[in-house]
Amino acid sequence: MAPTVILCALFVNGMIGRMAIKDKAGMAFDAWGLIGGLEVALDVDVLVGAYPDRDGPPGTPATVRAMLAAHRIRAGAVASLRAALFDVRSGNDATLALAAPDDLAAADALAVVNGRATPGGPTAGAPVAFVPVGVVDLRDPLRAGREMDRLAAAGVRAVRLFPDEQGVEAAFPSVRHVARRAARLDMTVLTGGDVRRFWQPFAGLEARVVFLDTHFYHLGDFLVAAADEPGFHTSTRLLNSPDALETVAAEIGAERLLYGSRTPHYEPIVPLLRLATSGLKPDEVAAVAGGNARRLLG
Amino acid sequence: MIIDVHAHWGPWFFTMDVAGATLATMDRYGIDRAIVSSTEAVIYDAPAGNRALATALNAQANGENGERGGDPDNGRGDSPDGGRGGGRGRLYGYVTINPRRLQEAVRDLAEYLPTGRFVGVKIHTDYTGSPATSPQLRDALELVASAGCPALVHTWGRSVLDLAQVCLDTPGLRVIAGHMGADGFRYAIEAARACDRLYLEPCWSHAPAGRIAEVAANVDARQLLFGTDATLIDPSSAFGSVAAANLTGETAERIAWRNAAELFGLETA
Repeated sequence: MAPTVILCALFVNGMIGRMAIKDKAGMAFDAWGLIGGLEVALDVDVLVGAYPDRDGPPGTPATVRAMLAAHRIRAGAVASLRAALFDVRSGNDATLALAAPDDLAAADALAVVNGRATPGGPTAGAPVAFVPVGVVDLRDPLRAGREMDRLAAAGVRAVRLFPDEQGVEAAFPSVRHVARRAARLDMTVLTGGDVRRFWQPFAGLEARVVFLDTHFYHLGDFLVAAADEPGFHTSTRLLNSPDALETVAAEIGAERLLYGSRTPHYEPIVPLLRLATSGLKPDEVAAVAGGNARRLLG
Repeated sequence: MIIDVHAHWGPWFFTMDVAGATLATMDRYGIDRAIVSSTEAVIYDAPAGNRALATALNAQANGENGERGGDPDNGRGDSPDGGRGGGRGRLYGYVTINPRRLQEAVRDLAEYLPTGRFVGVKIHTDYTGSPATSPQLRDALELVASAGCPALVHTWGRSVLDLAQVCLDTPGLRVIAGHMGADGFRYAIEAARACDRLYLEPCWSHAPAGRIAEVAANVDARQLLFGTDATLIDPSSAFGSVAAANLTGETAERIAWRNAAELFGLETA
């Protein structure tokens, strides 16, 4: 039983000091007003497909493009959940087809339609391009290596890893195997997983890596690892403490930051809003919003 | 008008330096008022943290630092006011209590609630090892109910259902499910529908698509509040998530400030 006290009478007196609340004109939660004219030239974290173990969006290419367009994201580095969860080859082939010129022309038409209906900024209807990102399955490292060779030959510049979804730990030999192969093929790796563990298989290889799940709780670990590894970068998606972006810029440079949204499974407006309201300089904001990703992914 | 019902004052142990950034963080998103708990009180020593926060809020009320923003910022006085009239009166306090130390809680409630600068109670279930199913949390919330003020309680996953049961079992208790269960937001919907004295606030560092829209569509708008977890989490996460839900009219107004003003007895004009 809790200690019994009668405090209510005291609290009535406590009301005296409170200030009146007056509403102001204007719309609450006007995110676009804060985002202003910011656009994203290339989003490093986009998926097509659905998670069968979750309620969530279907992730069809058309709906993904529409969501990106609504948030003034002009291009997305897209990877396939089909490839990550079931069949690498057919999933990657579908991704490559999405980036084909014919598909982009269809996307242009779709974007015009979406532009009339989406709540985003004034140019939300502009076309959205897909930059293909290959996927390998870390549960089969031999096939993963061969798939990376095939993707590199097809001109794909990045490969994405899904260790959490595939139940793979950072210390598994397959991760180091893929890391070495990526470095040899000059491919950029986009990887999920806890950065405090997944930095290690990429260390000492001069690898280019974007850690997609870096949480601001773990920012210090990323920073000390990245200080020794110039190829280490991070997505901004979960760097949403009040000073994480600014800390990265100050410690290792804004060129290590890449806007990532995880559309359509996360709200792209959140990292967009964080970037727009950051203390980064305009050229740094532009770099984070796509310049850095273009450098890594083409 | 926006009122943030889940905010903090003080330093954090992570790689961040935000102890003096309370008002500046609010200003970036047009947040007019915030109800803050002391990080020291939440994480380590409730009486010491409450005492420090009381000193800071008292300085705020007296206009100290006010010409330079008025942020009760550990004496730095370096926070901009963002054109919102300085820090005077923008922050209210939670009395943080540790359910394992209820005698201290009784003393702190009696000391700080009558000042009018503290308007509720904060309980963090993890830092105090007091889950919603624990007897000490039940006792603590019974104390809160007797005090007549709302409590903000940390919830995650299914624990929001346990909190709803405690609320149902505790006459007069009004409780805010902090984070509305985070990844357990569907449990939060169930909890809010089971107990109309349980309120939900959305802050979380993750922003799964459609989370806020789903909650708003399934919970009475009178039970929805806005919270950010600043200065641990930047307000962009909660603000952007709520914005993505495209809420309008009365629902938007209720979440933004009206429900908070009514729940905490903040005078409206």
